[in-house]
Order: sequence, then C-alpha cells, then structure tokens
Amino acid sequence: MEPQNKTDLATLRGTLETLGESIVLGTVELGQLDDVRKILGLLRSSGIGDNSVWLAAEKFEVCAAGEFQIDGGSELTRSLMEFQDALNSLSTRISASDNEAASRAAAFASLAQDPELLQDFVSEAREHLATIESGLLKIEETPNDSQPIHSVFRSFHTIKGLAGFLELGPIQELSHEVETVLDMARNSEIQMGSEVIDVVLASADYLSHSVSAVEQGLRGNPVVFRSNESLLQRVRTLINIETKSVEKSGSDLSTVEGAGINYSEIAAASTDQSTSMATVPHPPTSGIAPDAGETRDAPVVASSNGDSANLVIRVETAKLDHLLDMVGELVIAQSMVRHDPTLGNVENVRLQAHLAHLNRITEEVQKTTMTLRMVPIGNLFQRMKRLVRDVARKAGKQAELEIVGEETELDKTVVDGLADPLMHMVRNALDHGIEPMTERHAAGKPAVGKVCLKAYHQGGHMLIEIADDGRGLDKEKILAKARQKGIITPGAHLPDSEIFQLIFEPGFSTAEKVTDISGRGVGMDVVKRNIEKMRGRVDIQSARGVGSRFLIRLPLTLAIIDGLIVGVGTQRYVIPIFAVTEMFRPTPSMLSTIKNKYEMVTVRGRLLPIVRLYKKFGVTPKSQDPCNSLFIVSECDGVRFCLMVDEFIGKQEVVIKNLGQCFKDIPGVAGGAILGDGRVGLIVEMAGVLGGASEVAA
Amino acid sequence: MSTTEMSISVPASKSGDKSQVEDSRVGKYLAFHLGNEEFGIQVLKVREIIGVQDITAVPKTPPYLKGVINLRGKVIPVIDLRIKFGLEQEPYTQRTCIIVVQVAGENGPIQIGVVVDGVSEVLNIAFQDLENTPDFGTGEAILYVLGMAKMKDGVKILLDIDAVLTNKEFQGLKSLGL
Repeated sequence: MEPQNKTDLATLRGTLETLGESIVLGTVELGQLDDVRKILGLLRSSGIGDNSVWLAAEKFEVCAAGEFQIDGGSELTRSLMEFQDALNSLSTRISASDNEAASRAAAFASLAQDPELLQDFVSEAREHLATIESGLLKIEETPNDSQPIHSVFRSFHTIKGLAGFLELGPIQELSHEVETVLDMARNSEIQMGSEVIDVVLASADYLSHSVSAVEQGLRGNPVVFRSNESLLQRVRTLINIETKSVEKSGSDLSTVEGAGINYSEIAAASTDQSTSMATVPHPPTSGIAPDAGETRDAPVVASSNGDSANLVIRVETAKLDHLLDMVGELVIAQSMVRHDPTLGNVENVRLQAHLAHLNRITEEVQKTTMTLRMVPIGNLFQRMKRLVRDVARKAGKQAELEIVGEETELDKTVVDGLADPLMHMVRNALDHGIEPMTERHAAGKPAVGKVCLKAYHQGGHMLIEIADDGRGLDKEKILAKARQKGIITPGAHLPDSEIFQLIFEPGFSTAEKVTDISGRGVGMDVVKRNIEKMRGRVDIQSARGVGSRFLIRLPLTLAIIDGLIVGVGTQRYVIPIFAVTEMFRPTPSMLSTIKNKYEMVTVRGRLLPIVRLYKKFGVTPKSQDPCNSLFIVSECDGVRFCLMVDEFIGKQEVVIKNLGQCFKDIPGVAGGAILGDGRVGLIVEMAGVLGGASEVAA
Repeated sequence: MSTTEMSISVPASKSGDKSQVEDSRVGKYLAFHLGNEEFGIQVLKVREIIGVQDITAVPKTPPYLKGVINLRGKVIPVIDLRIKFGLEQEPYTQRTCIIVVQVAGENGPIQIGVVVDGVSEVLNIAFQDLENTPDFGTGEAILYVLGMAKMKDGVKILLDIDAVLTNKEFQGLKSLGL
C-alpha cells in the first residue's frame, strides 16, 4: 500500500472522528462533510477499499446529504459509525498485510514503526480514559441522564479504532467488548448498575495500564500487556446475561439473539476478507427498540462537563518555557529602550505615544504568557471522585464527594505535585473521618458521609480545602499518642492548632488497626513535606463529632516569586518575600556582641542573631558598619535571625531559573533570576544562609 | 559590546591518504588567544560569541567559575580560562569576549560561556598541520589538549573543550567539598 494512501486513510479517520464529535455536539459544518468526500474520492481512485467500505461510505453520504440538517442526525450518526467501523477494519487489515509483507517482525517491531503515531495514541487515549472515568461516575450519580453514556461510548470507540489501526490487539479487543456493553446500555437493554460500572471501570484501568505499557515501549523497553482474559470474560458475561434475560422475558427474541451474535462476529467476519453484504455491521438496535435512536440522539447541550467545544492545542513545555524566557527578555529590552536617557530628551509627542503603546502591548503579552502554564484543577478533583467511590466501597461506608471551584486555575507543576497529597488526605477523610453508617445514624447525621473539595483564590494564594462531616480529630488521642512517642513532654499545654499539626509527624497514626486503605502513619508527613516543597502550608481545623477541614495554602505558581531585590557591594540578590518578616536600619544601641564575635540585635525586646550576607557569600560590601546597612528579619524552621545587606533596591516578581548542573546544591542559593536591568540576581535561600552562618563566623 | 571580525582562511591542502580523513581533529577551528598563546576550539562546538557583560558571581565556587550571565533569558555559567589555566589575571578589555560553547552534560547538552582575551579568525586545519602534543618528559599528558597545529603565523593549541568543561570538579561542586 502506498504511503500516501495510508495518510489519506488516517486523515479520513481523523476527519470522521471530529465529525462524529461535532454531530454529538450539534456543531456540524458543511465544510467537514466536503473534507470527507474529498478524501473519500482520493481513496476511491487509489482503489484500496473493499465493498464493505464503499457500502458504508455510500450509506453515509446519502445520510449526510439529506438528513443532518433536519434532526441533528440520528441516522447520520449511525451510518457514520458503521462507516468508521468499516474503515477501522480496513486499516487493521491493511496494516496487518503490510506488516507481513514487510517482515516477520514481532509486535515490538510494529510498535517501532511510527513512534509519533504511538505517542499521539498515548496522549489521546489518556484523555479519553479521563473522560470515561468522569463519565462513568456521572452515570452512577444520575442514571437517568443519557448524555454521559454517549461520551463514554465515543471514547471507547475512539480508543478501539486507534488501537486497531496501531495493532494493539489486547486494547482493541477489550474496548470492543466494552463498547458492546455500553451500546446495549444506551439502548436500555442493560442497566448501568454499579456492577456494570465496576467492570467498565476495571476495563478502563486495564486500558490505562496498557497505554502505559505502550509508552514504555516508546522508550525502548519491551512492551508487556497484561492478560485481558479475565476482564474479557467478565465483560462477555455481562453481555450474555443481558441477552439471556431479554430472551427469557421473551420480547423480540430472535432479533436480540441475532444482534448478540452479529456483534461478536463482526470483527472476525470482516477480517476474513468476506465481501458478502451480510457482514456489513448492523447495529443491534435497528429492529428492536424503535425509540432507541431517540434516546441515543437526545439533543445534546454542550454542558460544562468537559465536553464543551473548547479548542485546545497541546504544546511541549520546553517550548512554553522558551517563550516565557523570550517574553521576559522582551520586557527587559523594552524597558531599556524606554528608559534610555537619549530617548528621554526627545520631545516628540508621537514617539512618546508609540512608546507607551509598545509598553502596553508588552505588558499584555507578558501577562498572557504567564497564564499559559496555568491549568484548571478540575481534572485532579475528578480523579478524587473515583478514589472516593473505591475507598468508600472498600471500607463499607457511604460517602459522596462535593466539588467546588473546579475551574480554578493554577500552575501545572503545582497541580502535579498536589495529586499525591490530595489523594492521601481524601483517603484519610474517608477512612478516619467518615464514620460507619450505624455510628452516623446514632449521631443523628445523614447516612451518606460528605467530603468536600474546594479550590479558590485568596490574596495571591491558592487555597484548597478538604472538608468532611465525619467524627473529627480526637485531640486527647493525638496528645496521648504524642506523649507516648515522646514528641511532646507530659504536661505540656498546646493550642488546638498545634495539637493537630502533630499528625504530620512521621510515623504518627492513631488508627487502632492498620487497614489496606490507611493507618500506617505514613502519608501525612509526606503530605506536609510535599506541600512545603511547593512553598505551601497545611492548616487543620476540626471539631469533635462535626468534622475536620484541611486547608492547603499554595502559591499560584512555582515559577514566579515575589522578591525583594537587595544590594551587597556590586551584587544584587533576590530575597523571597514570604521569608521576610520586617526590614529596618539599626541604631548602635540595638547592637550587642558575645565574646566580641557573635553579633546580636534587639528587635522589640527579642534578641536576634545577625548574619552578614557579604561574609557568607564572600563579596566586598559597601559598608561593614551595621548602622549603615539594612537588616532583614527572617524566620526559617522556627529560628528568627537578621540578615545584613547593604541596601534595599526594590521589589519585583521574578521568574526562578535553574542555575544548571554546575551550580547545583550551593548552600544559600536557591536559583537565579533575571532582574529588570537584564543582569542575573541570585535568589537567596534563607535556611541555607543560616545553616552556613556559624561556619563563616568561626 | 565588542564585535570581532572573522575571516575564513583558505584550506591549505586537499590531497591526502586515508588516515587524514579519519582524524577527527581535522576541520574548522575558532582561534582565540590567552596571553601570548593562541588556541583553537572546534567551530561545531561554538554557539556564539558575545562581548563581556556583567557576570553575577556565585558564592562558594572555585575562582575560575566566574558566575552566571543572562543569555537571552537563559542563565548560563561562565568560566575564565585564564584562571583555569593558571595564567595571571588581567582586567577585561574591549577585546575580551565570551565564547558560548555547547558541551554534553549529564542531562543533555549544556551551554557554557568561556571568557578569553580575544578571538581572531576561523582556521581550516588540515591533516598536514596537525601534530600531537610533544612529550615533555613529565610522564603525564598535558590536560585538555587535542593536539597542536602548525600554521604560518605560529603554533596553535587545539583545545579539547569538552574535557575542560566536563571534568569532575566542574560536574559536581560537592565533590570539591565546598
């Protein structure tokens, strides 16, 4: 087969896929149909198709010409799917014969064929799997809503099609069977009870594993698919049970039976090159349920559940970072031009107006680029839905998850870093927080426990709340445990907030028994560490019997910090503003020394050690006299100290840059930042400065 | 910012046997000087040449690591070859420039700036011009040198820039105990 034809075929399939989505969303454009016809013409002239394809194509064209304008295209959808199925089997066949002809290479060789296609498959499949998961959970919540099942069906359908094209047998096989189940479900032949959903979810998990395996393959590791036999068995059982139960009820016996067989045979029949018309796929629905078409194509309103027609482009993060760099440079260059003394002397109104205009545009560009890395937190929250469902089932409790503020945006790296901590905390809320039903009953609470995830902005920070209406933290138990572990001294009196913070101690667990969900005391300390790594903080509020609330406070982005620019000698340093408590210029009466060596300053009655930054960093300062210097009071790890620098230069939002492998792990330096004048300023890491202070003083 | 004019010299000779083709040292070199000595860096390793700009010193690093500069939004390290090679330090002049080279790092290629006294031209070095570093009887090879090139206007030292920039001390400052 000519490579050109292959591309045409792939394009056609892609176009059809988009078309299908457009039909579901009701946004079909005439141009899309024309595209399909054009590629179809190309394929025809190359003569690679067979009868089943042409038949499906013709049927589709007829439908496309007449019907879609009238009723949102129920017939059109059906014929489109038939057409897609025919094309899928065609391309499977083509690539299979291609393969044989080319070499006897094993599955791995075929994987190596086109890494780009496979990479696309991996990312696309992941997206579809996410849609599937959230869709399934929605089905479980609102079984009467027919819309989510369509999107789940489409996702499986797409994965199946892609997997077929790429010869990922196990994936294709399983998604095909699941598709059958879903098709039955949307034709109301099967109830989407939790049993069915379990199986479908398990299948989605299997698919996601397999997708990861494919990704491993791309990195050169051998591709190992787990066996899908048992899952296939489970899915098939579902199909059979349903077929049988319908049989028993005696309604339209022959058709349904025929449908069942027909469906499972399609794949086999179409692969053995049969040209008989009988093998053209018939959806089992055609005869039995006259209203099935209606259910399936119930007018779909683009709702806010992720199906919205937002156009999205995937971009490599490296490219984004480069863009950020360049925009940063643009801003610097722009400000250099603007503040050039020569320009300042020019009294030309037009030039000044143009400069102001340029300034505005640059600012706008900068603002927009800064938001490029931001993603909504919704996807992460959606994943928690699945977790709540699974954990609650395992623990034999009933719980529901409420989500507020899905659309809140924050830096991609923060979202990624948040996944694990959030998972731990939600799991804890379910296992320790929410009581078993009987207990809830006794306490007069609703039987179904509630976990609430909330995300919102507050004062330049991102706040994420995990609240449950469970039994709350047991202060006494925590205190007892802490005393037993020797973390606090007996008799010590702690405020509530500090008591609650104790649960972040490593190895701290008040659970009486270790379950496979939680209770080993690992987790909360990891949660805290991960969040602190992102310069965040966790606070806990809890009331006995009423519930607990975990409050995570995070910076909006990891890439940018608010910094104080200070000068020491000729050098400029950036001090993160969150580490600074106050700044002042001392008077001689505030200073004192120990043994003439260790210096201290009295600030509002507190004695603080002085760390001279120039000594620490080995630069020559403008002045060694503390009274001509600036003191910055800072607190890290519970220790307060004063950092002595020459002068305060300004405040700036800076983009944190890595210094690269030559300069990694230098104590006291967290990275570099490009300052307003284009120079590089080092970002001071307060803990590192303090840590090394004694060594310099000695 | 000083710019330096460059000219490409005519290839000295074209005939040759097989070993000449195989010698990876044959090719184009960017010539620069440090004190009285002339050096060459393989042109393929050179990304660009920029004038000396403000270098931000990084504390607790060896003296030859001058610090970091902003190369169009990227922060790259800069080393001073004079200090590295134990020559006397001199104040930077109009001719002083930074050659940005790309070398293989642990995680992919990295760009590093190299401060030199000045660059002069691009040399085409043929097999006939090449000679191995003479043995000085010290029992050890001279570090960082690929070989020598005998040109009309004197001998050039061909620098193994990868070796200069990727030796142990440079890779991890921790190993220096700093």
